[in-house]
Amino acid sequence: MSRRKFIVRPGLASVAVAALMLAACSAKPGDDAKTADQAANPPAAPADARPQPNPLKNAYFGDLHLHTRNSFDAYIFNVRASPDDAYTYAKGGTIKHAMGFDLHMDTGPLDFLAVTDHSEYLGVLQSINTPGTEFSKVPYAKDLFSSDTAQVNKAFRRFADSIGEGKRMAEFSDMAVTRSAWQDEVESAQRNNEPGKFTSFIAYEFTSAPEGRNLHRNVIFSGDKAPDMPFSELDSQNPEDLWRWMDQRRAEGIEALAIPHNSNGSDGTMFMRTMWDGKPIDKAYADLRIRNEPLVEVTQVKGQSETTPLLSPNDEFAGFEVMDWYIGTAKKITKFQGGYVRDALKTGLEIQDKIGVNPYKMGMVGASDSHNAAGPYEENNYFSKIGVMDGEPDRRGSVPPPNYKSWDDYKVPDGISRFSSWGSAGLTGVWAEENTRASLYSAMRRKETFATTGPRIRVRFFAGYGLKGTELTSDAGVKAAYAGGVPMGGDLVGKATGSPDFLVMAMRDTHSAPLQRVQIVKGWTDASGKAFEKVYDVACSDGGKVDPKTQRCPDNGASVDLSTCAFSQDKGDAELAGAWTDPDFDPKQNAFYYARVLENPTCRWSTWDAIRAHVEPSPHLEKTIQERAYTSPIWFIPTKAG
Amino acid sequence: MTEASGRTGGLLTKAARLLGRAVREPLVQFLAAGLVIFGVNDLIHGPDRGPPGESITVSQGQVQQIAQSYRLLAGRLPSKAELDALVDDFVTEEVDYREAVAMGLDANDTIVRRRMRQKLEFLLEDADASSEPTEADLKAWLDAHASQYRLPERRAFRQILASGDKRGEAAPSAAADMLKQLRAGADPSRLGDPSMLPAAMPLTTEQGVEALFGDAFAHDLFAHEGDGWFGPVASPFGDHLVMQTSREPGRSASVADVHDRLRNDWIEDRRNQRRIAFQSKLRKRYQVRIDWPEPYASQSAAPDATPAGTTLGTAAGPVESVAPLSPGGGLPEE
Repeated sequence: MSRRKFIVRPGLASVAVAALMLAACSAKPGDDAKTADQAANPPAAPADARPQPNPLKNAYFGDLHLHTRNSFDAYIFNVRASPDDAYTYAKGGTIKHAMGFDLHMDTGPLDFLAVTDHSEYLGVLQSINTPGTEFSKVPYAKDLFSSDTAQVNKAFRRFADSIGEGKRMAEFSDMAVTRSAWQDEVESAQRNNEPGKFTSFIAYEFTSAPEGRNLHRNVIFSGDKAPDMPFSELDSQNPEDLWRWMDQRRAEGIEALAIPHNSNGSDGTMFMRTMWDGKPIDKAYADLRIRNEPLVEVTQVKGQSETTPLLSPNDEFAGFEVMDWYIGTAKKITKFQGGYVRDALKTGLEIQDKIGVNPYKMGMVGASDSHNAAGPYEENNYFSKIGVMDGEPDRRGSVPPPNYKSWDDYKVPDGISRFSSWGSAGLTGVWAEENTRASLYSAMRRKETFATTGPRIRVRFFAGYGLKGTELTSDAGVKAAYAGGVPMGGDLVGKATGSPDFLVMAMRDTHSAPLQRVQIVKGWTDASGKAFEKVYDVACSDGGKVDPKTQRCPDNGASVDLSTCAFSQDKGDAELAGAWTDPDFDPKQNAFYYARVLENPTCRWSTWDAIRAHVEPSPHLEKTIQERAYTSPIWFIPTKAG
Repeated sequence: MTEASGRTGGLLTKAARLLGRAVREPLVQFLAAGLVIFGVNDLIHGPDRGPPGESITVSQGQVQQIAQSYRLLAGRLPSKAELDALVDDFVTEEVDYREAVAMGLDANDTIVRRRMRQKLEFLLEDADASSEPTEADLKAWLDAHASQYRLPERRAFRQILASGDKRGEAAPSAAADMLKQLRAGADPSRLGDPSMLPAAMPLTTEQGVEALFGDAFAHDLFAHEGDGWFGPVASPFGDHLVMQTSREPGRSASVADVHDRLRNDWIEDRRNQRRIAFQSKLRKRYQVRIDWPEPYASQSAAPDATPAGTTLGTAAGPVESVAPLSPGGGLPEE
């Protein structure tokens, strides 16, 4: 490839430019409003092309957390892809990475997407980089887009500090740019919604992180009604204020839910026992919170937030894609309790025992949080998350830099270790009648959702009395399970006698590995009000039987060839079904149960990177992982004795 | 699939345009630095630029604009003293600007050059932004690009599974045996192993079938012609017997089918056309000579080289990152 330079004689060009400016300026007024009307209501797909709703529900897969150039940080990472580009990618198209290469999903289009740009300084960085705008006159504009990294870091620090403190910089007090960027987000979502085929949600991210402790939330709107402006952490860092704002919007007919994410980076502050003011959680708080936050993002690029080996020492599968750093800083997490979902589900039961409401009764979703307008859901098609920062293997620690021949002499900097600790993106699975906003949103509201770590594993999960013998392999069986039990996300009200049956069935993604086992994770509180957890295997591959002493399947012996990433073809199952009753069931105890499905081991993205670069995989990183799916819990509600 | 490739065309031009806009990086900074030092020296100590005479007039409108800009940032109008300082600063800026242009500083500053190009392109886009296609425009566009908007073939089918999980290597022969039974009139609902896979699929595209049954199964299904049960068709789930119940051939879309895509693509194309026409018109004013250094001078043109001026963005050459930020530099958020 050659670099071409043109030698031009200046002089005439300036005349032409001036003439054009004049011509263009006269045509300019009113252009902001140009597409609003046309874009607002795309015609629905013709009726014959739209599939009939399925009362027994289909699994739809999508991403509820994705950034584009409208996010202040994505823009600094050189991402220039727009919300429209994000939809193009999600619908199976090809877009460009900030470093110039093509991005395309090998495993087919998504069914839905929410573009969730940071509401703080939404669109502002692009405005600073646009000549002639007011914001382009800020004195550090040139530094922000300098080729000197130190200058960029220094100038960009202003934004980070401002968001850290929750105070808007005075020079950006004019909100016109953000208002216009928000319009862009809304219109793009409206344009790209194709009922029956592809669902877009109007959405944004609330980016509160007091003292760097991550309290971020994504706000997802149910329909085509959006507020004039998003409520950002520059309005208040206190999530309680966000929920109150959501309540107010709801009263005006604008329905939304908020999804907390990266509790793993909250240093124990996401799921506390106290409120913002430090007092213990009361009923009003618990009601406010659970009314607005029925879901939690349990897995994404910045690690999984289900649990860690520290919190769940008896769960030998907990050590998966653990990300123990603060968000955006090479600083280690010190407090894990309050930062993980399983722990929060348990805390929720404890609080419920005391005050009668469970503030942490959350269903599971997964997402990417990619800032590339495109999620890296596939281990063998990984491009990480933040544009030029981690777009090449040596920038994310999977391959040593060019001047190092091996790993021996290379001390990986903390900043890069942080990127290495990231995993490929997750997805949300939703059981819904059809692929429309109304159907998907109401499924999210009732928590009939599951999270996966990328592969499109499908999993059904029901609990009910007298479900024994019901098979989820036929329409009749699924119908019986809905009729006689509750699906994931539901409440199972206890009966005076007997023990509920749990039905779980999982199906592999044909583009990933076969399934190894299905587990049920139980949490409960005892008479003293203290919460406990236990993991039970309930379905084993390859004809294995659960050992009643250990509650574990035998090892199925699946392996991976680390020189090619080929995995065992004769191990694991395409489908796994489990019918289970809780051997430790106590009808007086509050409890939750959720299913976790594990694949056979496959290569981690970092191993794929190394193989392609013909180097040894990093000795600091796991070479293989077990991809998985987590269902929303079913909560067991005991009937009050007497 | 058709949908995806239909979009890709417009997208590539868009991506190329973005890259063309963003990627113009310095090679000449060293040169420019030398020039600045020389120029400033010339300005301070050097020969006088001739008698004063160039006039600068700050119009009422410009003063108003300065005052309003201040109001946007500060939330109030400036006092007379403040405005005085602001106007004075404006005059200084104008003087410096004229001197800098006279010295040719703008010509060699990559950032200035890039921003001016950006500005020109924005202006061009804005100038064109008001145009909306009519229904006739959309119809004409669709007719000219019918293959891009073709609606893919869809097939509906029933399937019976001989499960690989259950039967292992015996699955194909079990499936073959079931096929015999089916052809002898057995009830399909009584055959096959239980599975989460649907026993019947409504009209679905090949891509839709791939998502559930895998690529090989979808390929075999869409390659098969003929009625009745056939198989075994292999998938990661085992071996299937399949009967197609309905076929909807791929067809050309109507405007109503793909209205929004047509509109977006039409606007995109119009912008590109305008830009290309404008650029080539400008280019006609210049005689371009390129002195290729070795080793390029002796190399023949790359096969993918496009004549300059016909397609925008292809002359960008190797992709560079505009600001090669060092990873681990601690940029917050994400």
